[in-house]
Amino acid sequence: MNSFWALSPLLLVVLAALVVLLLEVFLKKETKDYLAYLSSLFLAGCGIILMIFWDKNYSYFDGNFLLDNLALVFSLLLTLATILVILISIKYISLQGANYGEYYALLLFALSGMLIMVSSQSLLIIFLGLEILSISSYSLAGLRRENPESSEAAIKYFLLGSFATAFLVYGLALMYGSTHSLEISSIIRFLTTGTHLNLMLLVGLGLIIIGFAFKIALVPFHMWTPDVYQGSPTPVTAFFSVGPKVVGFAVLLRIFHFYWETAFHTQTLMTALWVISVLTMVVGNLIALRQTNVKRILAYSSIAHAGYLLIALIAQDPTSLIFYLAVYLFMNIGAFTAVTSLGRKGKEYVELNDYSGIGFKYPWIGATFAVFLFSLAGFPPTGGFLAKFFVFASAVRKGFTPLVIIAVIASLISVFYYLRIIVTMYMKEPSPSMQILTRNPVLFSVLFLCLYGVLQLGIYPGNVLGFIRQAVAAMPLL
Amino acid sequence: MIPISYFLILSAVLFALGMVAFFVKKDLITMFMAIEIMLNAANLAFITLAKSASSLNGQVIVFFVITVAAAEASVGLAIILLIFKQKKSVKTEDISLMKG
Repeated sequence: MNSFWALSPLLLVVLAALVVLLLEVFLKKETKDYLAYLSSLFLAGCGIILMIFWDKNYSYFDGNFLLDNLALVFSLLLTLATILVILISIKYISLQGANYGEYYALLLFALSGMLIMVSSQSLLIIFLGLEILSISSYSLAGLRRENPESSEAAIKYFLLGSFATAFLVYGLALMYGSTHSLEISSIIRFLTTGTHLNLMLLVGLGLIIIGFAFKIALVPFHMWTPDVYQGSPTPVTAFFSVGPKVVGFAVLLRIFHFYWETAFHTQTLMTALWVISVLTMVVGNLIALRQTNVKRILAYSSIAHAGYLLIALIAQDPTSLIFYLAVYLFMNIGAFTAVTSLGRKGKEYVELNDYSGIGFKYPWIGATFAVFLFSLAGFPPTGGFLAKFFVFASAVRKGFTPLVIIAVIASLISVFYYLRIIVTMYMKEPSPSMQILTRNPVLFSVLFLCLYGVLQLGIYPGNVLGFIRQAVAAMPLL
Repeated sequence: MIPISYFLILSAVLFALGMVAFFVKKDLITMFMAIEIMLNAANLAFITLAKSASSLNGQVIVFFVITVAAAEASVGLAIILLIFKQKKSVKTEDISLMKG
């Protein structure tokens, strides 16, 4: 249904960002926390609107902006992730000297870009949304301005991100040249009616996939990930590991969902994705083994998880893809929340040695972090187990048994480095020099919210799965 | 009338040159210029293909891409300035705190 209301969630997010920028001028350094609460309030409002819009199918701008149920599910996930990231930032940025009002504004702008991406049917609009997200991300990565690592992360992210953008734009040009349109639906129509895939189109599609592969950190386009994750402020790292990944897969799902049959009969793209998926899982997990920085370990683990997610895409199972993304959101933001909480003024504890004995010194942080790590490794009864199980099961049903075998071996390797952190936390003597700021109710509530999410999705996933199935069923098929 | 394919080949060559320069050059500003060349190669391809399809869409898209490139340039140059303030250098070999 064509209605101006389709824009309201997006406008609310942008309005929040502008209000934050405006108020920033009038607030003193000590009172900037209010901006965080204000923006979370706006985002909660946005979330409520998104829930009200369920099944309404509002669209605007000639259908270029469409809030179907799939877009709503992704938007809800992204809004939730942003709220959690904002909440864990409050203490962190004042301790680490990045307490600028534009921090929240940039996060909100990045969210608005992601909302545009998930609710659009036109590759041009998706590209514009991606750029809003990317440009905000480059600035967010470098927001600890005095810290050389942070600036290094920003420049690396900027250079490789714009490099990927150039690929994406060139891919769009070739796509436009062969189909005369950038609407996903008309591209698909062209693909299904065309008797053969011409070279220009195939190269264009390949370049577009490369562009997105950079954003979601698939091997061999992952070089930036560990450095950017290590240098960025930790809550921003949590945001990078979830946000771009969710939107990247949302867009790939939109492109491939209709296109599966044609594309995968030709086998070309299929084989390419297969190889990328294997490389991503194996390389991500193997390099993670020799890392000693917890943020880098989590970076490589997020690369490996992109590989598992790609299996869901190859197996043509949108339900388990979205479920995996939901679980991934909770466990990854949870893990980064635990890392964020280990810090004091001007000091962060991110080396593996710093974690010795944490399990007994700070029992709540240690226990929740352990659960998130178990979930990332895929142990029952956490959500990580079920998510992997659904993905692997549907891949086996579609006849991708070799791929699943490699994936299972890869996740066995991953157990080693996840357990290494847990062993360090519980089986080594705590170092007396390590002191953190423990009184932080907001951080703890996020930690427990993520814990709840991981366990709820692991033990009783029925409700969420039901919603996701509805959203997927409403996707238009050709 | 120059054939369409000439323009497309030119854009492909420009794109490839940009890509090679990005990997070969050791200077942040030059790498950034290489990216701009790649973006402009894509713009050239867009205009050519729009002309051959005699549709205006492709030409409008170019304006979007130019705008995006400008926004990217402003943020990118700001980051490069930040790096220069910290290290007094914009060479890639000086920015290698993080490895592995």
